[in-house]
Amino acid sequence: MPEGVPQNAGYMVAAYVVASVLLVSYAVSLFLRLRKFSRGSGAPPGLP
Amino acid sequence: MKLARVGFAITVVSFVLLAGVYVRAFAFTPIEAAQGPAQKIFYIHMPAAVWTEIAVILLGIAGIFFLFLKDKRLDRFAEASAEVGTALGAVVLGTGPIWGKTVWGTWWAWEPRLTLFLLLFLLLVGYLILRGAVTDDVLRPRYAAVLGICCMIVVPFVHLSVYMFRGLHPDPVVIKPSRPSLPPEMLLTLGLSFAVFTLLYIGFVAQRVALARLREESGHA
Repeated sequence: MPEGVPQNAGYMVAAYVVASVLLVSYAVSLFLRLRKFSRGSGAPPGLP
Repeated sequence: MKLARVGFAITVVSFVLLAGVYVRAFAFTPIEAAQGPAQKIFYIHMPAAVWTEIAVILLGIAGIFFLFLKDKRLDRFAEASAEVGTALGAVVLGTGPIWGKTVWGTWWAWEPRLTLFLLLFLLLVGYLILRGAVTDDVLRPRYAAVLGICCMIVVPFVHLSVYMFRGLHPDPVVIKPSRPSLPPEMLLTLGLSFAVFTLLYIGFVAQRVALARLREESGHA
């Protein structure tokens, strides 16, 4: 990295980790809720 | 359900592409000299913020049409867009303070853009709480549509707040009347990230609409 450039890569990694955790958590939450209700509705198992 | 399967497939593809965007942002996009590597937070922060705003605009538009047409599909879409917008808003509020700490030296500042975005996020949370609290199937979509329209009205203030009020948040560098003020490599990374967030939004909304339909069928709407 060139001299004089702030050394803050840790913050960058932290932000990407936070974003990933939030997006994956939401995706998993959708998956689980869909599975729960698809079982209840009599739709074929294994959804989505 | 076909919609759930399609949404799930789009979401999986989006996550694979998002990993590609991360690699491109980390390894193949130049480091901004003044802010250092932390500037790369921009490539997830900005697309998430823009898609939160678009999600809320679509929520409001669906609400307006619902009030006239009373079509349940519009209500399902509005609910889905609000929930996905809330998730993307959480990404914005999760990554923004980390970037702010490196650039401004503080995690949070009560300046206009941040405060208005927080207000928009809280309105979205309120929208979801309202939907959960009203049990009447006729009144719930109507109340929700009105609140969705109110959420939409806040969006222009969020976006234009950097012009309207003096604050810490920088002016837009891409969505502005003049040409984007970013080098081509950074602009390409941002464009790719924006495209992936577009796919993510579509995949999430498709699944959420399918979920709303299943809940209605099972009597849990």
